[in-house]
Amino acid sequence: MIDFTFTEEQEMFRKAAREFAEGEVAPYIPEMEETGNPPAGLVKALGEAEMMAITIPEAYGGLELGYTARLIALEEIARVSVATAMMLQVFALGIEPIIVFGTDKQKEKFLPGLATGERLATAAVTEATGGSDPTGIRTSYRKEGDDYIVNGRKCFITNSHIADTLVILAKSEENPKDFCAFIVEGTMEGFKATHEEHKVGMKGCNTGELAFENLRIPKENLLGEEGKGLRVTMAAIGDVGRGGMVGCALGLQAACLEESIKFANERILYGKPISKLPAVQNKIADMRIDLEAGRLLGYRAAAQHDATGRSSNEFAVAKYYTTEAAQRAAKMAVDIHGGYGCMEEYAVSRYLRDSAVVGPSAGTSDIMKVIIGRWALS
Amino acid sequence: MKIVVCVKAVPDPKEADKIRIDPETKTLIRDNVDLTINPLDKHALEAALQLKKKFGATITALSMGPPVAGAIVKESLALGADHGILLSDRAFGGADAFATAYTLSKAIEKIGQFDLVLCGMASSDGATEWVGPQIATFLQIPVVTMVNELLHDSGERWLVKTAWENGYRKVEVQLPALLTVAREINKPKNLGFSGIIKARKKEITTWSHEELDVSEECVGSRGSPTIVADFGTLETAREVRMLEGSAEEKAEQLVEILAESGAIR
Amino acid sequence: MNDMKAETNKGSIWVVAEIKDCMVKPVSLQLVGKARELADQLQMDVETFLFGDRLGDGPQLLVAAGADTVYTAVSDELEMYQPELYAEMICTLAKEKHPEIILLGSTFIGRELAPIVAARLDTGLTAHCINLVLNSDGTLDQQIPAYGGLISIICPDRRPQMATVAEGVFSTPGADRSRSGAVVSMPLPSDVRWRVKTVEIVEEQRQEQSLESASFIVAGGAGAGTHSGWGKIHELSGILNAALGCTRPVVDEGWAGLETMIGQSGKMVSPQFYIGVGLSGELQHMVGIKGASIMVAINNDPKSPVFEQVDYGIVEDCTSFIPLLIEKIKARVEQKVS
Repeated sequence: MIDFTFTEEQEMFRKAAREFAEGEVAPYIPEMEETGNPPAGLVKALGEAEMMAITIPEAYGGLELGYTARLIALEEIARVSVATAMMLQVFALGIEPIIVFGTDKQKEKFLPGLATGERLATAAVTEATGGSDPTGIRTSYRKEGDDYIVNGRKCFITNSHIADTLVILAKSEENPKDFCAFIVEGTMEGFKATHEEHKVGMKGCNTGELAFENLRIPKENLLGEEGKGLRVTMAAIGDVGRGGMVGCALGLQAACLEESIKFANERILYGKPISKLPAVQNKIADMRIDLEAGRLLGYRAAAQHDATGRSSNEFAVAKYYTTEAAQRAAKMAVDIHGGYGCMEEYAVSRYLRDSAVVGPSAGTSDIMKVIIGRWALS
Repeated sequence: MKIVVCVKAVPDPKEADKIRIDPETKTLIRDNVDLTINPLDKHALEAALQLKKKFGATITALSMGPPVAGAIVKESLALGADHGILLSDRAFGGADAFATAYTLSKAIEKIGQFDLVLCGMASSDGATEWVGPQIATFLQIPVVTMVNELLHDSGERWLVKTAWENGYRKVEVQLPALLTVAREINKPKNLGFSGIIKARKKEITTWSHEELDVSEECVGSRGSPTIVADFGTLETAREVRMLEGSAEEKAEQLVEILAESGAIR
Repeated sequence: MNDMKAETNKGSIWVVAEIKDCMVKPVSLQLVGKARELADQLQMDVETFLFGDRLGDGPQLLVAAGADTVYTAVSDELEMYQPELYAEMICTLAKEKHPEIILLGSTFIGRELAPIVAARLDTGLTAHCINLVLNSDGTLDQQIPAYGGLISIICPDRRPQMATVAEGVFSTPGADRSRSGAVVSMPLPSDVRWRVKTVEIVEEQRQEQSLESASFIVAGGAGAGTHSGWGKIHELSGILNAALGCTRPVVDEGWAGLETMIGQSGKMVSPQFYIGVGLSGELQHMVGIKGASIMVAINNDPKSPVFEQVDYGIVEDCTSFIPLLIEKIKARVEQKVS
């Protein structure tokens, strides 16, 4: 089982992703922090760099590279901008259900555009009444001839205002145990992106609310079996969503550690750099330990998914660990920076705000524990 | 069109400060510094790729280096070169610019017919700027250095623009030729995922001095006309006074020093 | 017709001189001066080359600087630098006369021509030397800065020994009009089809203060961080009425051109005041600076080697410190005025 090294090709993927992140993503950060919106140029650059194509099958214009390559890309992008990594990872939440549950017709219609970045995807499950518990949602559907009519509202949806291909979950009006997953196209009548959220962190990643008012969905857009929609969306959020958060968190951890080392080596107190002080060394050691552990958990889950197609429990462990670790790392990084840590010009202040958002995304830490506990006890 | 691009594996220029010479053994200490493609060679490769797009061409990436340099030949393939050749042999070690150019020229002869050889005008770690012109001289083809624009690039007679003191120079050159390129010639595109995937099917051939049919006397340190005779430190006669205090205080002190010595006027 | 000296056993040191607008370039005179020094020690002659369409009194200046012979070629074809013509003439004569040493300036011509000549003559070459001395056995010790120290390179077995040197490394020799030397004209090679031809050269007038003659220089390095950080350093040089210089990383980033670079393969300068901002004191840069009365360095790394080479050091991040310094200087200048 155990070869803990990356292949030469994987090292090249990492190099490519890092060059992209440092060269093409970094310049957009000030704008993202200022406006809170994803710049069009950035979204275009992501498409041109084939970032959305990573998990899409070759037959539909994708690179068919698997979860390890995806994690490498997300980790490197998050190291520069967590907001960008989050936006990218959530595209996959809308793409994956189509890959796994889509009919050939649906795959042909949607995947090529998603691969190039011409179309942007997301998944819309969460509502005010249920996020951690998706069965609590109130968005409902009823059949009318061959179509489905959907009514409801979704909240805390990433890419809400830029996505044109959305996989949504709705509950049957007649039988609350039946759920359907639908592919909603942004041009459909009755679909509207409404309120935009202003998050404290991950600025530049768009999060907002969606409203469906008598939204008419043709039967061609039903994803998976009628009544069996929960499976479809859980598959998305399970591996893809959690795996994506691992990428975001690992990149954030790495950035916190790098900035802390740089600052600690430069900052002189008592005649020498503060990196000589045991208190600072301990923090840096903690960050390093967390990063080593997080990487092993994340890449193990990704490798397992590439080999067997299943790893949602392993990703739950990795998601829990890395997002908690990222929050600790950001706090430690800010502490090491002293007064500078609260200043906007210093990147670590942004890392602190970003770290606040990785926790509740794709399932809270508490929910992860419920899942992991269940897994351990089964 | 057949193009050969010479690429060199160099220590990452961003970490170049970490490399030092051991004063006792007089050898380079360069642990922990990653190798990467010499930045100007990326511009040379990009120029080749643009010519490929315009006219159709096959591009061979050629590098002389230790086995780890194979990674940058691979990277050149991922960026779009069609074939890769690594010249790797203990005998090639310790080569100065002359021996390096000689070895590379022998490899290009072995590659066979070509229209154009492209090199970055200098390497970030040696920066002699000589390997390109010397390869051309050994191959007996014309060379133009510091090319920053291809003005007319079809047919057998090209017109190129080069850097010049406070201006530029326009040169007509007959193909086959060797051009060394300056940074301004283009903006190299990034390494991309699909390029890396395509590189899976591309071949890297490794040649030793035997495949090149050269004697060990002519390559590596034995084939180098110049040698490093000595290494010493440069003495400086200044004793620094570090200014103390807050940033404000230090700035004020510096202003005083400059004003007193007449620097501020 | 061809007044060539009879073949003697006396060795020679050659300098490939350059002429621009009828004036011999300073670097050529400096190299002739150095060649004279070496030749006197080795008991050899100094011979130089000068090509162009109008040489003015160039040959006489070279003789006054120390040359024994000046080989000239004058023709409309030589209005501009023609690499194949130059290489052909120099190499043909070199194969006949076997010079001991050939020196060229690290100019745009020298940087291209030297390797071509060295390859054709099957000999070694050292770039951008900052010093040339003779070893006890008469070989030329060619010194270059690298990896934080000074490296001596020699070409023990092959001849000629070749080196390129930048302007300003050696001092310009006084003109000794009493010296005499031979001016020998060379024929242009004929019957050869040239494969490289310079068709146009354009040189623009320099706008900013020339670095080589500046008495106050502000130089910036990679520590500027960003283009706007570099802009602040530029601003600092402006309010101090100083010339602006830089290190190689700045040129690589595209913030300034090669003509702004100070160092071994850039410009050699000798200001009175020098402030280095965000640079680490890399040898390749520092060797370009000679004889400054006051040198100051600003760098955020207290262990930076630059602090061993200056008179005053400030440990601060330039992004925050330079704007502050600019404020303070403005205030002081206003104070002086009022």
